[in-house]
Amino acid sequence: MKKNTFYLAVGCIALALLAIFWYSIEVHRPFVIETAFIVAIAVIYFIRKQVTDIIEDERTARITEQASLRTFQVFWVVFCALSIGAVMQILYVPTFPREAIPVRPPEILGPRMMGYFQLGLLCLMIFLYVGFRIYYARKYGEWDTDEE
Amino acid sequence: MNDLTQEDLAQAIGVTRQTILAIEKGKYVPSLDLAFRISRQFRVNIEDVFQYDETHLSIDID
Repeated sequence: MKKNTFYLAVGCIALALLAIFWYSIEVHRPFVIETAFIVAIAVIYFIRKQVTDIIEDERTARITEQASLRTFQVFWVVFCALSIGAVMQILYVPTFPREAIPVRPPEILGPRMMGYFQLGLLCLMIFLYVGFRIYYARKYGEWDTDEE
Repeated sequence: MNDLTQEDLAQAIGVTRQTILAIEKGKYVPSLDLAFRISRQFRVNIEDVFQYDETHLSIDID
């Protein structure tokens, strides 16, 4: 398989995923898009192995590696900070004096707010990865041309 | 000396043309494995293709 055919197939899969995403919203079944997403990634990995052109080498692997590492280094700090805040909400129990302060149930995010929270984290991760990828791609001459 | 284009060399050693260009421009320091493959392709010693320059040691450390 040629690399252009591969990119075309990835584009088609992305469009299909988008359609399934909206369908799963319509029927309100997250399981549909979750399953479709996993299957789509598996299919992409499979057809990637069929590509005969060289689309990845040690330089592109290094770009991916560096971008992933930097994304992880920034993302885990934000994720842990927010998670610690959430854990604090669960563990909060007034200890003294119990009679004077009524014990409130922990404030847990509703499903809708949880969705926004996850969306924020997902967007952060994607923006970080794309940003770092562009940075390292430029650093390792991804878009350089022969002209001086 | 070998009448090879960047594309030909890239195909022969199994990398993308952009990687050859990046190595030529000094944007990317190849691994020892790739450096050997390039030198073997031209049937020369690795030192004939790559020179060790201490002033540029810090390029790829970060």
